[in-house]
Amino acid sequence: MSVQSEKYLRGVPTKPYDLLREGLIVLAIVAVIVIVLAILAGSPDYPTITAGEVATKQPVAFLQLCTDYLSGNSDLQTYGPPYTNNPENAQTILGFVSPAKWFGVTIPVDAKKDFILTPLAKVAKIDPTVGSALAAFEQASASQQAAWTKNFGDALDKATTNGSQVVMPQGDYGPVETMMVGMLHLGQAGLVEGALADSSLLPYSLDNTKALLFMEGDLEENVAGQLDMQGGQWGIGHETGNYPGAWWLWPYTFLYQVPAIANSPNADLLVGLIIGAFLLILVFLPVIPILNRIPHWIKVYRIIWRDWYRNYRT
Amino acid sequence: MNLTRKAQRLVTRGMSLEDALPTTMPVYVNSVVYLFGVMTLSALGMISISGAVIALFGPTWYHVSPAGRFFNSLHFWGVQIFFLGLVMHMIGKFFMAAWRHGRWRTWIGGIIALGIAVFTGLTGFIMQTDWDAEWISGQSKDAMNAMGIGSFLNVLNTGQVTMLHILFFPILMFLFIGLHVAIVRHESPVKPIEANERPGAQAQ
Repeated sequence: MSVQSEKYLRGVPTKPYDLLREGLIVLAIVAVIVIVLAILAGSPDYPTITAGEVATKQPVAFLQLCTDYLSGNSDLQTYGPPYTNNPENAQTILGFVSPAKWFGVTIPVDAKKDFILTPLAKVAKIDPTVGSALAAFEQASASQQAAWTKNFGDALDKATTNGSQVVMPQGDYGPVETMMVGMLHLGQAGLVEGALADSSLLPYSLDNTKALLFMEGDLEENVAGQLDMQGGQWGIGHETGNYPGAWWLWPYTFLYQVPAIANSPNADLLVGLIIGAFLLILVFLPVIPILNRIPHWIKVYRIIWRDWYRNYRT
Repeated sequence: MNLTRKAQRLVTRGMSLEDALPTTMPVYVNSVVYLFGVMTLSALGMISISGAVIALFGPTWYHVSPAGRFFNSLHFWGVQIFFLGLVMHMIGKFFMAAWRHGRWRTWIGGIIALGIAVFTGLTGFIMQTDWDAEWISGQSKDAMNAMGIGSFLNVLNTGQVTMLHILFFPILMFLFIGLHVAIVRHESPVKPIEANERPGAQAQ
């Protein structure tokens, strides 16, 4: 026994104990429980939502997504750090607590270029009509580009589908219609995610930032809503199906159920700071007056050590 | 100065064989609450073994192989039992005010290990490479970005998340859990609370 233990336990009765035996028994019980659960319940594996799937099954929604990126109207294009240079949109508290702003743009994303124009330049290599449309678009003034894109985006509300093809009403879309058809075909071919990868790193593509950002928005929100996985539905605390999720994060997800926090534009920062403060309180609990006395007042310890108090306490 | 001799002295004074592998225990260590720590370590063992097998075949193995699915399920349920044990252990130690008698290092080490475990779990969910991963990475990136963490820990970067999950966070977690257990064995389990015990009371 260490000098410290020996001194501390002087006068305390001891009993025979077998650490390895106890450890192996508990390990065996845990192993059986885990193996039985793995065999009987399995684990979740709900398929991902891909651009190809959306482009095929919901072509109008896919084109709406692409048009938003082309017009610059998506939330991502004014997200702020670390993606875009819009520091005014970084979540901020008290006017100066804004960690995202402090670090700046570390993962630059230009959605119009990265999500639409660059992939279309790849499509243009195999489809010259897309190449011509892209060239016409890029040579046009910014206001002309905006007008064509707006016309196309507005007309999507009246678009119809014929199978996986989109039939647009007559309108002044300039080269945008051909470009968007190019994006739709790229999507339906299942090549969008590949086209969004950083070409300089291919054939290795371990960073899926742009592919994942591309798919964010209403489509994913709808799926998450149907699966009870949105922030207001306890988010990460849920898994798909009936599987338990990260239930240990309930204090974190609980904060998103508080309307005053959930409705704030700075909700994520508020929750993060509250949880950070909570963790700090937990860390320093041993020296925080009142809080470190709670166990003494609640007296659950009298149940835990009931044998000691009954048989050994002098 | 002989550093090796100093290290020998530090180890032998701090941790005897009886501390490391005890054959006796104070009689007050007599409650199911004391088993939650062992339960947590056992589940961590299951997670480590199943995780090592999954690492051999890659994170997407379980999508295409029944064997992969089984090991993924072992990993999944191991994590659930691990956090159950961890949370119960922490709650139990709170009600025992186990930081008394100078044992604050044990408490702090445990809380830090809990924090690391949460991030290990998060990166694990994202490594599932399924819908959960797609949704959770998108949602958690907003929280990470708001806190400034997203500027260097990009949850959408699968390569980075993979390395964090299978190497960085486990090393940190094993380090803090190892220290936590070593300190407990060095100091021995805290004595029961006495009725008139005052805050900050030292070993009696």
